[in-house]
Amino acid sequence: MTDPRDHAAPPGDAAPVEMIDGHSVDELDAYLAAGRTPYDPAIENSAACLLYLSALARLRERSWDALTHEAENTPDRDELWITGLLDTIRDEVRAGRDIPLHHPDPAIRLTLTEAAVHGLIRAAADALDGVLLSRTVLDGDITQPGAPISLTLTAAIEYGFTVVDRAELLRATVQSALTQHTELAVTSVDVIIEDVYLGRDAAAPGGEAAS
Amino acid sequence: MESDVAPGDTPTRRVSRTSANDRLSDAADATLASRAADGDVAAFEVLARRHGPLMRVFAAKLLGSDIESDDVVQEAFLTGWRRLDELDDPARVRNWLMRIVSNRAIDRLRVRRVHEDIADWDPAAPPSQDPSRIVETQLQLDAVWVALDKLPTIQRRCWLLRETAGFSYSEIAEALDLTPATVRGLLARSRKFLLNELEAWR
Repeated sequence: MTDPRDHAAPPGDAAPVEMIDGHSVDELDAYLAAGRTPYDPAIENSAACLLYLSALARLRERSWDALTHEAENTPDRDELWITGLLDTIRDEVRAGRDIPLHHPDPAIRLTLTEAAVHGLIRAAADALDGVLLSRTVLDGDITQPGAPISLTLTAAIEYGFTVVDRAELLRATVQSALTQHTELAVTSVDVIIEDVYLGRDAAAPGGEAAS
Repeated sequence: MESDVAPGDTPTRRVSRTSANDRLSDAADATLASRAADGDVAAFEVLARRHGPLMRVFAAKLLGSDIESDDVVQEAFLTGWRRLDELDDPARVRNWLMRIVSNRAIDRLRVRRVHEDIADWDPAAPPSQDPSRIVETQLQLDAVWVALDKLPTIQRRCWLLRETAGFSYSEIAEALDLTPATVRGLLARSRKFLLNELEAWR
């Protein structure tokens, strides 16, 4: 079967390339798409090119605005597919590796899943004020009882809280939750604060100044 | 990080009025994507609510069908959830999802192409008389849709894939079964048409 498009080429395919001040519009389009880097003085010093670039940039922005605007104005239809989606993915949470738990009866094998440990760490971290856990990495052979495990937590802190204070609280809270609920031999807990976010009171207009 | 905050610069507040739920709803995409990759369904839900509507409008425009767009977006988020460990930069999760939505929509177009010999080369509608008179915001937004809808279907698809989903020429060519040269030509024409319609560019 031949694709009709192969011979039904649209008219004007071989049309001469539109040029602006010595630059093809394709080149200008690519330059804009690349964030106007590396800086091209020949383009940046041409009034005609700059006019074209700004018209094109505005056009892009307007396309995005139109999409965003339409999306904001039709929110009612989302509940259905989101509910369906969540029902499906809840059943698909990857269990990850099995983490052994000691039981006095050697005939009984008890394990905790890696996903459960991630959930436990999140629950402990989310109970804290002013800090939001992002990524959790368990390094080490968690499937072997007693193997040394190092834990790295990445988090954001709320504006107005002290970084050192929140990081230490997060570290201590997670470590104590792990000690209480697992038998992991956690030898180190590293906390990386990679972001700061505004709390609702700070972000709200008329709230505590945050800028 | 610690050294960035001088003592006394930021007083330690003991209690935040931001609840754990609000914190998640307000969280940055990067944080949510990282948590979702660790298995946090709630974080993924926030991402779906935040970006789903835009993806749906985009899919509907790409497919030319409002009915299929819900399915495409749902499938795409499901694919995204399953492949979160392949996401290199969590901060770019929206672009990443947008690509998945595009690919799912393209799959649908492929299936359709088998069934219908679509008139992809439908002619463009005549240009507007005086686009410069369009000033007010709502009118401006409407004008974008009016202009996009005037494009031949194939040009509109190329434009959306390029400008909204960030596809390269060769990716568009592969997706739509065209040669890269044809894509280049189609994009050039759609750009020219839209610039003329919306920016009164020559």
